[in-house]
Amino acid sequence: MADYRLVIIGGGLSGLAAAIRYARYFPDVLVLEQHIRAGGLNSYYYRQGRLFETGLHAITNFAPPEDKNAPLNRLLRQLKIKREQLALHPQIRSEIRFFDRYTLSFSNDFAELTECIRKEFPQALPGFLRFYQNLPEIDPFTPSPFRSARQFLQSHIDDPVLVDMLLCPLLFYGSSMENDMDLSQFAIMFRAIFLEGLCRPMGTIKDLLDMLLAHYLSLGGAIRYQAKVAKIIHGNQQANGLLLENGETINCDAIISTVGYRETLSLLGHQLPEDEKRIGFVETIFQFPVENAVDFPHDITNIFYNNSSPFKYAAPKNIVDMNSGVLCFPMNFAGNRLAETGNGPQLRITHLANYQLWADMAKDQEAYQREKFRISHQSFIEAEKILGQLPKNPAYEDMFTPVTIARFTSKHAGAVYGSAKKIKDGNIGFKNLYLAGTDQGLLGIVGSMISGVSIINRYILPKL
Amino acid sequence: MTASDIKQVILDIIADIDDEADFSGLDASKPLRDQLDLDSMDFLDIVMELRKRYKLQIPEADYPQLATLNSCVTYLGPKLAAI
Ligand SMILES: Cc1cc2nc3c(=O)[nH]c(=O)nc-3n(C[C@H](O)[C@H](O)[C@H](O)COP(=O)(O)OP(=O)(O)OC[C@H]3O[C@@H](n4cnc5c(N)ncnc54)[C@H](O)[C@@H]3O)c2cc1C
Repeated sequence: MADYRLVIIGGGLSGLAAAIRYARYFPDVLVLEQHIRAGGLNSYYYRQGRLFETGLHAITNFAPPEDKNAPLNRLLRQLKIKREQLALHPQIRSEIRFFDRYTLSFSNDFAELTECIRKEFPQALPGFLRFYQNLPEIDPFTPSPFRSARQFLQSHIDDPVLVDMLLCPLLFYGSSMENDMDLSQFAIMFRAIFLEGLCRPMGTIKDLLDMLLAHYLSLGGAIRYQAKVAKIIHGNQQANGLLLENGETINCDAIISTVGYRETLSLLGHQLPEDEKRIGFVETIFQFPVENAVDFPHDITNIFYNNSSPFKYAAPKNIVDMNSGVLCFPMNFAGNRLAETGNGPQLRITHLANYQLWADMAKDQEAYQREKFRISHQSFIEAEKILGQLPKNPAYEDMFTPVTIARFTSKHAGAVYGSAKKIKDGNIGFKNLYLAGTDQGLLGIVGSMISGVSIINRYILPKL
Repeated sequence: MTASDIKQVILDIIADIDDEADFSGLDASKPLRDQLDLDSMDFLDIVMELRKRYKLQIPEADYPQLATLNSCVTYLGPKLAAI
């Protein structure tokens, strides 16, 4: 007799969504999370008595509650969460800046982006509009072999700078491969970011996670923290249970793994050759005192910048690549009263980073800390090049590297977006073990939750 | 359960999925999905609710039998006769 009918490995957003979806009908489900709290890549921690978020620049797929077929609203319906429970604040606007020369501004009103393209790239506008018209022809949910998003853009738009500028935010917000992404994923993300747009829930990621967890527990589901899975017990392409790092075994009828393809194979005991390069990031959070609010822009949410030609989205040769990055101002969402919570302005800066160099550096803790400090200082200077002089007295600063990601989420090579190859149907050749989350190919907060729900719908619920 | 009980059960379940669903003018002989703007995910919810409420096991191959209110009555009638 199994201990649980379903066990979900990983309490990140895909795991939580899968768990809620299942618990709506059967409470006999357990989530196993290695960390002390849920959320995975989108979680939080405390320093100096203050809460800091990991991740969460913005939630994509902003849609008004009336739009019943919007992915966000469909997702909430599947989880039986009322849209009103999520007070969402839309972004103000964001910018893509290339070489101090071209700026494209986009908001949750797509016309703003089109208007900017009309001004900055008048020759390319007809091509862009043709691309936009042909976008609905891509059916992202019918499984198909890899198609290049870059090639698709280039076939419509003959300005290479505009192609790079359109790709830049989408690659930063969800590409696991160098300089390109799969066309299906591109279509999903273009809609999620440019057509629907960005928003933030009221409060912090903790409020969102607490709401999801309370909902899950009220449905009768179970979750265990500091419960790292060491092995999946299996035979004849059938999973029978799990062995935890603490030696305990748990028997179950079915498993959903959200920890990545390679990571799952390694739990199955397979030896794996080193695979393709993975994309890593560093991000520094600068938290300023309340009185510095005046020193920061109020009308911009994110800035994606690049100064290299062509734009390179790749694992850099150096420890980080300062030629490009994302600046995020989490306080700048319409009607978001983050400031009233007593927190001052915050700036987050993200760059591409080289995992191996950071991993080598981390063997010497002191050198690693020094390097983190040096890089965050450089990041700050890059931000000043874009924003002008900033106050030099952050009340707090902290940096995560690919090593941090690997340590806290067990992602191979600390790669936020996982493997370049995706298992789009979640099927890894087992009768009762499926993949959801990052390596199933749906990324981001909304994407990973849709992934969890759709794998439950496809493989688990109809078979019960 | 009578035919009208069964219809009511289905409508209750749909109202629970989408509290703004508009049942006025619903044609019992036409597909529910088209009339109420339900997607395949919502449709799975109907099957799962029937399972949860009445311990009814509906194999995937039979899902099309639940397409309209009338076909629901035909298909579910014998299964819910004792309830
Ligand atoms: C800095 C940063 C900023 C981001 N910003 C945004 C943003 O603004 N908007 C957005 O939409 N997305 C953002 N993302 C991306 C988004 O966070 C992810 O795509 C999404 O959270 C992935 O969820 P997941 O459940 O697939 O994976 P994960 O969150 O990685 O969940 C996997 C979970 O499994 C656990 N685990 C791993 N191995 C084991 C094991 N052996 N046993 C038990 N548990 C295990 C991990 O601890 C983790 O909790 C950001 C990511 C980062 C890192």
